[in-house]
Amino acid sequence: MKLRHYETLYLLHPDLNDEERQERADKLQKIITDDGGQIVKVDPWPLRKLAYRVQKQTQGWYVCMEYAAPASTIQELTRNMRLDESLMKFVTIKKDDTFDPAVLERAKQEAEAKAAQEAAEAESGETAEESADTANETADAGEDEGKE
Amino acid sequence: MQRPSRPMKRRRVYVRRKVCRFCADKNLVMDYKDADLLRHFITEHGKILPRRITGTCAKHQRKLTTAIKNARIMALIPFTSDHALERRPPRR
Repeated sequence: MKLRHYETLYLLHPDLNDEERQERADKLQKIITDDGGQIVKVDPWPLRKLAYRVQKQTQGWYVCMEYAAPASTIQELTRNMRLDESLMKFVTIKKDDTFDPAVLERAKQEAEAKAAQEAAEAESGETAEESADTANETADAGEDEGKE
Repeated sequence: MQRPSRPMKRRRVYVRRKVCRFCADKNLVMDYKDADLLRHFITEHGKILPRRITGTCAKHQRKLTTAIKNARIMALIPFTSDHALERRPPRR
């Protein structure tokens, strides 16, 4: 079956916890893989403020999912997303009519690079925090002097 | 205070020809998820700015409209400022 390159961005209710969100992501991914599709990338965003109220909520969890799937899968995926009431909004974009498996390889490399970068940042972040603390202390000292 | 004697008529406004941002910078990708980028191409009320203002080329403007509309659907940018969260609700 011919695979096409798609991307779906969906918005989850802000009250969902990590587990519930993971559950939804797994379910949607299973629909794709069961139909012979492939997941390229799943990118959950941090809790984000919405531009306008949706279901009376001002924030929400966005998840961006990039995948290759046959066209018929989209129908099934859309049906499932409509059924879930905690999934407030979604949009599916066709990125390409054909799927180039090289994209999969590139995404894997990017994910690795990102993980490595985050690990490096976490290390440097600790040292940066320390220096920020000392900076604060000196600032505080300066303020006290000013008051006296 | 002396006013420069200048005929009010025939005053020509020279506008520097703007170049399409997406043509000038090939690395700049049009993406409906990039709300900060799309904000440059909408008015403060959330309307899509015309090409003559932004200088975007026809090809990219077409893509830009769909990107903006998708971003609106996903609540990344407002449909109108009346519904936006940052602003006060309109006076009744």
